Amino acid sequence: MKRLLLHLLFRWELLLVVAIVGVSIWSAHLSPFFFTRVNLLDLATPYVFIGLLAFGLTFVVIAGEIDISVVSTLAVSVVTFAQLFDHGVNVWVAAVGGLAVATGLGLVNGALVGILNLPSLAVTLGTLAAYQGLAFVILSGEGVATFPQNYLNIGGGYIRNELPIALVVLLGAALVLGILLHATRFGRYVYAIGSNREAARLSGVPASRVRVTVFMLSGFMAGVAGMTYVGFFGSARADAGQGSLLDVVTAVVLGGVDIFGGSGSMLGVLLALILVAVLRNGMQLANLGGDTQNIVIGCLLLAAIIAGNLIRAAQAGAIKPALLRLRRRGVIRTDDAPAAAVAAEFESQTPKGR
Amino acid sequence: MIGAVRALKPQQIAAAAFRLREIGIVMALGVAVVFFWIRAPNFMTVGNWQDIAKDVAIVVVVAVGETMVVLTRNIDLSVGSIVGLSAYICADVYADHNGAPMVLIALLAVGVGCGLGVVNGLLVVVARIPAIIATLATLSIYRGLSFEITHGEQISAFQLPDSFLNLASTKQLGLPTLAWFAVVVAIVGSAFLRWTRWGRDFYAIGSNPEAARFAGIPAGRRVILAFTLSGALAGLGGFLWAARFPNVDAVAATDFELDVITAVVIGGVNVFGGSGTILGVVLGAVLVATIQDGFTLLRLSEFWKMFFNGAAIVVAVTIDALVTRRLQDALRRRRAEVLAARHAEAQAAARAEGSP
Repeated sequence: MKRLLLHLLFRWELLLVVAIVGVSIWSAHLSPFFFTRVNLLDLATPYVFIGLLAFGLTFVVIAGEIDISVVSTLAVSVVTFAQLFDHGVNVWVAAVGGLAVATGLGLVNGALVGILNLPSLAVTLGTLAAYQGLAFVILSGEGVATFPQNYLNIGGGYIRNELPIALVVLLGAALVLGILLHATRFGRYVYAIGSNREAARLSGVPASRVRVTVFMLSGFMAGVAGMTYVGFFGSARADAGQGSLLDVVTAVVLGGVDIFGGSGSMLGVLLALILVAVLRNGMQLANLGGDTQNIVIGCLLLAAIIAGNLIRAAQAGAIKPALLRLRRRGVIRTDDAPAAAVAAEFESQTPKGR
Repeated sequence: MIGAVRALKPQQIAAAAFRLREIGIVMALGVAVVFFWIRAPNFMTVGNWQDIAKDVAIVVVVAVGETMVVLTRNIDLSVGSIVGLSAYICADVYADHNGAPMVLIALLAVGVGCGLGVVNGLLVVVARIPAIIATLATLSIYRGLSFEITHGEQISAFQLPDSFLNLASTKQLGLPTLAWFAVVVAIVGSAFLRWTRWGRDFYAIGSNPEAARFAGIPAGRRVILAFTLSGALAGLGGFLWAARFPNVDAVAATDFELDVITAVVIGGVNVFGGSGTILGVVLGAVLVATIQDGFTLLRLSEFWKMFFNGAAIVVAVTIDALVTRRLQDALRRRRAEVLAARHAEAQAAARAEGSP
């Protein structure tokens, strides 16, 4: 029972919360202004676009694929938006145009991966370069920085001078996408495909349609991220978001999403994003430069996977006998399929009637 | 085409497909050369081809290492950062010790690369981190180290000895000295992959990791070796980079991994590992460099090159997949035919035995 309790306590999300609290205490130690309401609310704003990218990528990774072209997709959506706006299109219509283009680029990735069955790593590595080039071709040289204030508010504005609108966008997106991932048929399909694509297809999951949709969703979220990016930074340039791929992937993987697909939660990704934001904020308070920060974030990404591997190994070792004992005593029914399989396997190996 | 395929044995079909890939690159290269020859007047000059050779040289040296990693069904995204870091360390040490023997500096570069490559290998094999994530992280980490070491400073050409800079400016037998490094690396790499046990192990691991392990190949150690070689060659690439672009700072060779991976993928190395040749990779590097050089001569912007690089990866992967699928279908059909023929023969023989 104690071990089972330990298993519950070692939920990945809980570890993330502990880490966030730890880093916050360190930050508060560095600056007395850390624990003010204004700082806590504003802290996440510069990382909202990273969160939105990570949410889209989460679907792709859970489906067992990868999309490293998200940052380039963001850049294309940003420059399309800027060009449309610069040519006299209403700012909101232009934003819809940016979203549509981003979704279209996602569709291209999705078609190549889902329909032609190409490896997503190679495809999105290619489109990473291709889209980045495209962004520079669409808007070369000078950026556009003449957006109206009511648009910029979605990145830097406040509700009642208190609550950042960007934070509301982030949490709203997390909620909607969390429901989509955890409580709809589409979401279950994504998990099924990530766990075992062939089995999912054979049991009637429209695998290629779901895989195309997942990439489109990732593209669409890159567009949303691009629109809030312009709102926050106030200007649109072709190198928008460059260098943030590390943070995006870190948020997803640190959030406990299995890089081989099939498991992960939206809450975990949100918490991981907050951890990255708090950590970067803290390192800025400690006067560390951007590249030193990248070293730390890179190490954090590696550490997250290593920790996940270790925990999984430890659980596989520790949980087997505990579950078995409980099952024999009839304390629990192992309805949980993987645990039941583990227990059954263990039972078949140990002589009964001891 | 299908008729011709029918007449062949399965092994011959497979061998022909590999030739086809190299012939395809040569044809694409021919088309590109003719196009630029017509459009850009100074394309077909000795000087321009020597420039292309210098560009190709560094890509080839690093791509040979990347090929080994990709053959084992992994990928190394950190090579650009390793080239940059090693280039800066080379230039920095050389600037302080102008009299140091060049071999020592080259060994230093290879050593630095080796160390960074081993780290990649250990992360992938021992810590069981997927190569794409591990090397994405080390891409940032190694680049961060570059910034830590340089403190934002730059080494300039005048600080470096002439003998070192001559690597890029002198020619031996008509080829730039830099290119001879690439020739040697390509030949040695090719021989290594074709004839040594370690080289064959890379192919085996990439074709089927499980089967390779059951066949007694120490897969983990071989993958670490592949990453180490990739790092070492990226280190050597950094040495050459410093000679070619002697004003080295912390951002040297940023995004260079894209050029390298484009050359490897266009060159016909399967991204799922297990197949590919150095000859193909060299041809791929030449094709990429030629087209990029042509773009420069036609005054197309830097960013069209980037677009082309990415599109080339996607097109190459698509063609690969389609050809592989066709090939597998043909092989399956051919095997079925062979089996059916044998079956018919056996039945005929049985009937012949039974009738008299």
